[in-house]
Amino acid sequence: MKNIFLKTTGLIMTGLIIANLFVVISGIVISDEINSFEKKTDILHKANLTLEKEVANLGSLKFAQEQAKEFGFTNSTAPQYIDQLKYAYVK
Amino acid sequence: MKIKLIFLLFIALYAVLIIRLFFLQVIYSPLSKSVYLKTNKLNPIRGRIYDMKDQSLVLNQNSYQLYVEPKKIEDKDRLLRLLSESLEIEEASISPKLDMSKDWVAIASGLTQEQKDKIDKLNLKEVGFDYQTKRFYPEASLSAHILGFLGKDSEGEDVGYLGLEGFYNRDLRGLPGFVETERDVAGRPILIGVQQRVEPENGRDLILTIDKNIQEINKRRLLEGLEKYKAKKGCVITADPKTMAILSLVCLPDYDIEKYYLFNENFYKNLAISELYEPGSVFKPLIVAAALEEKKIKADDIYNETGQVAVGEYNIKTWNDKYEGKISMTRILEKSSNVGMVYIGEKLGNKKIYSYLEKYGFGQNTGIDLEGEASGYLKPQNNWYPIDYATVTFGQGIAVTPIQMIRAFASIINGGNLMKPYIVQKIVSENKTTEIKPKVEKKIISKSTSDIIRKMLVSTVENAEAKWDRPKGFSVGGKTGTAQVPIKGFYDASKTIASFIGFAPASDPKFLTFVVLYEPQTSIWGSETAAPLFFEIAKDLIVYYNISPSQ
Repeated sequence: MKNIFLKTTGLIMTGLIIANLFVVISGIVISDEINSFEKKTDILHKANLTLEKEVANLGSLKFAQEQAKEFGFTNSTAPQYIDQLKYAYVK
Repeated sequence: MKIKLIFLLFIALYAVLIIRLFFLQVIYSPLSKSVYLKTNKLNPIRGRIYDMKDQSLVLNQNSYQLYVEPKKIEDKDRLLRLLSESLEIEEASISPKLDMSKDWVAIASGLTQEQKDKIDKLNLKEVGFDYQTKRFYPEASLSAHILGFLGKDSEGEDVGYLGLEGFYNRDLRGLPGFVETERDVAGRPILIGVQQRVEPENGRDLILTIDKNIQEINKRRLLEGLEKYKAKKGCVITADPKTMAILSLVCLPDYDIEKYYLFNENFYKNLAISELYEPGSVFKPLIVAAALEEKKIKADDIYNETGQVAVGEYNIKTWNDKYEGKISMTRILEKSSNVGMVYIGEKLGNKKIYSYLEKYGFGQNTGIDLEGEASGYLKPQNNWYPIDYATVTFGQGIAVTPIQMIRAFASIINGGNLMKPYIVQKIVSENKTTEIKPKVEKKIISKSTSDIIRKMLVSTVENAEAKWDRPKGFSVGGKTGTAQVPIKGFYDASKTIASFIGFAPASDPKFLTFVVLYEPQTSIWGSETAAPLFFEIAKDLIVYYNISPSQ
């Protein structure tokens, strides 16, 4: 009877130790993942802001002016009808 | 015996552990807590600002604050030299900040990712970085006075100053959150420990009524105008006259919004909402509209303009002291006759004049959603003398702001509604969009009176004494103004505030633009400075809106 009790207790204790080890190791693995995701989120957040800046720069009037100069969209393309009304009525 | 010894050894070890835990958890509790319990403030992202077409005006950008831990410094001279080279700041500016008695000192903030990477490569162990965000302006200072800027309060927290940043600071800043986690020695979260996270509420985005293309047109034209007419300063406001949604608001000189701290406070002042001035003749249509509404005059009534008019001890004359004899009410506006306006004022009556000034909202804030608005001054009626009632009919003896002036003018051409001017049309939060609708504050004149005054103003442009390079084929209405600047109780004839307020197309105005030039030197007259500038802007806006010619 005593032997059975001791063996059972030993088995339970061993099981609990293994389970405990599993929980601790799993915890460490998950914690590492959390840490890694936190870092990745942070990098993504910073990358988003940088991309937002680049998109805004491409849509800015400053950029449009630079492009207009580069491609020659300046005085030669100014609408004529505002000073010479006859052009407004040309069909 | 051996078993007993091992048993006692275990008891002793447990006792040591218990005593140690007692010290850590009870005696040094606050200290130990800070070792494993990590609490971080989660800063909200400040709201962004967009123009009416969702084009960015203000965004957030990555930024870093560089700090030094003086107690870790081994070679101060080398550190100073390297930081000076990397940051392009004089060593003499960095050196005083390096207080060797402190554990941590901030050296520079607002560093870009590129600057941070450059310094990181130097492997300076005494140098570190804190992550921050800073405001980024894709259109640079195109709308400096509208936007305001983000500075710091006495506790070092971000706070918006002036313009929209100031007015909507509470909406833009959001609410901070926090995260509290128990961490192990490697900084990993302990899952069975305390894990508490309250998400921050990011700031709300603002969608404006401002059109950045019109803003660019107005700013470019105003800059050209200031140079051409050698004016001290100036403003251009363009609004939708039906709603008083502000499409553009530019005042010069302004300041570099990213380096606002390099500018004197005077540059921060938005003249359009903060500067009081005597409006001069642009005020006349308001009095004429009131007299028409009260049926005291009709557009084609005749007035006999024979010469100067005496009011008490003062003589009132026309700008060139020339008189045309019998002229219509429309002609009074066309030639901007001061004596004609005194006649209209007399027909309207003193009580009605004062009551209309109040109705137009002078002496009160317009309520525009920008920080720094001045209310103007309308002295109590019992302090008014007969000369005051006479001069106010042609816009002298009253102090108004440009925004009050354009609002009042909009009311006489939009069917008679005094609208509340506004710049923000939508406030967007993470789960809600609040739309701000145009608000009618008062009905001042009837639609029929408004139609009549609009036609009179078109005639004023077409038959004005000055001939302008107007956009041909387009009906434009408007009025010039030249107000002398009062200095120490007297008017200085050489210093004027020249203005023009106009709208197009006259039948259904798409835009109303007010141009004010302070102390132009090439000519003192609004008709020779502000008016030509207005027509340059009007031509651009007609093209921009694709308005077809009507004549």
